[in-house]
Amino acid sequence: MDYKYKYVMVIDDNPIDLYIAEMVMSTTKFAEKVICVPSAREALAYLKPLNDRPDELPSLIFLDINMPEMTGFDFLDEYQHLPENIRKKCIIMMLTTSLDERDRKQAELNEFVKRFLNKPLDRDKIAQLM
Amino acid sequence: MVASYRSVPKNSHVTAQQTYQTIKKAYKEQVKQKSDTLMNYFLASFFVVGLILANFYDTWLFAVGVGGLSLVAYYSVKLLLPRTETYQYIVSIVFGIFMAQFIYQMHGLFEMHFIAFIGSAILITYQNWKLQIPLAALVIVHHATFGYLQYIGYDKVYFTQLDYMTLQTFIIHGILATVVFFICGLWAWQLRRLNERQIELTYEMGRFQEEQVQQKVLLRSNEELKKSNKELDGFVYSVSHDLRAPLSSMLGVIGLCEMGAPDPFMQKNISLLKSSIKKLDGFIMDILDYSRNSRLEINRQEIHFNDLLSDISNNLKFMGASDQRNVEIRMTIRNGVPFHSDQSRLSIILNNLISNSIRYQNPEVPDPFVEICVDVCETAANILVRDNGIGIGKENQEKVFNMFYRVSTKSVGSGLGLYIVKETVEKLSGVIKLKSELGGGTEFSIRLPNLSN
Repeated sequence: MDYKYKYVMVIDDNPIDLYIAEMVMSTTKFAEKVICVPSAREALAYLKPLNDRPDELPSLIFLDINMPEMTGFDFLDEYQHLPENIRKKCIIMMLTTSLDERDRKQAELNEFVKRFLNKPLDRDKIAQLM
Repeated sequence: MVASYRSVPKNSHVTAQQTYQTIKKAYKEQVKQKSDTLMNYFLASFFVVGLILANFYDTWLFAVGVGGLSLVAYYSVKLLLPRTETYQYIVSIVFGIFMAQFIYQMHGLFEMHFIAFIGSAILITYQNWKLQIPLAALVIVHHATFGYLQYIGYDKVYFTQLDYMTLQTFIIHGILATVVFFICGLWAWQLRRLNERQIELTYEMGRFQEEQVQQKVLLRSNEELKKSNKELDGFVYSVSHDLRAPLSSMLGVIGLCEMGAPDPFMQKNISLLKSSIKKLDGFIMDILDYSRNSRLEINRQEIHFNDLLSDISNNLKFMGASDQRNVEIRMTIRNGVPFHSDQSRLSIILNNLISNSIRYQNPEVPDPFVEICVDVCETAANILVRDNGIGIGKENQEKVFNMFYRVSTKSVGSGLGLYIVKETVEKLSGVIKLKSELGGGTEFSIRLPNLSN
């Protein structure tokens, strides 16, 4: 059983999308454990204490843009204030339904974002990341 | 928008000119009416003065006869020709006659000559220097005639109480009288000119204020338009997201089903579901493209056709239905000079045309292809999108650009694609032409201006 990543985090307010991501990633052996968090705030709360246990940090974070209370971009603003240990370990991917050019541009300008993916997450997209 | 904006100041200018003329006319009418009223009092007073003077030398017949005739002459002309200024000239003459009458009644009392000056001063009220002329003329004729008659010893002329009047006195008398008439005429002329200038200034000021108000209104409505555009943009954005998010969730779940459902019956149903959802998603994206094109301003940038076209062809590689063959996408780009236009709009145009070529490929030809030729020059880019697909019949060629028009029930799109293409080309001030034959492929040729400056 060799998984590509040990921990992958998915931040999305839609439980169905979390379920899809979890299923696709586990069946394709992309991630051993998929950490599903329903909001950006909870994601930050999850990441902060892991400063002392960097092994448990997710290698990848899939981030939705359009979320209530705190959007994906709000999360990125907060994320840059996290300790460097965390920022070094995690790679962020935007995973969104948005086709808006402005969203794409804003994401591409952010130093922490490595890719901009459109939903739904499927086998082909995961295969490209492998 | 542009046309209505232009027509507003033009119309207001026409009405403004009319308003100006109306104001001027109304002012002149007011001056005339006030002066006419004053004239009634002055003429009545003159007549009464004549009656009073009659007591001195018992000139009753003269006072009533000459004064009465003068009044009759004035009022009858005024009654007969109320629209003209003739009666004003009559009043000028009447003042001269009153002077002559009073001089006679007082048997040449020198001070009675002042009546001419009083008349001259009264006439200023009409603000017309020409009214001085009849009075001056009459005074000159009167003085010359009666002065001469008395000089040669004619009895009962009563021009002056002096026994003898030198020519020198007579000339000085005449010159001073002329000066008075001249000055009164000057004042009348100046008064009119100043008042007209005043009206003009007041009017210009009013118009300036009006223009400022109009400008403010325009500015405000422009801001409101911008605001509502922004709001609409936000609305379209969230609606499209909220509509598309559940669809992509559905596609995700369907993907999961495909991964674990070997049953061919289920596979078939799932693929039907999938194509329905994709169709709905495509429809939403078409509407998005349409609203973006119609509202957003043109975002001019340099176009790299190589990158743009390879992006598009990568995105469209997997779009064909599963039972369709892949369509070869060929590209020829000749760009000696940089081309500037709106990248996202160009992408909408090319995406729609190329995806149509893939969608409506001809199953009877062995090598389905779509060929894109781009030729850039200083002034424009000529883009040719040519395929060997099923083609469009002559009878439908005009209608394919219409909103929601679909050639046949087999058409799979929203019926918006080519409508959006045409709208977008027009937004970029370009032209699109269609050449096609049923079964013989389709060729779209587009000419877009180079927005390099």
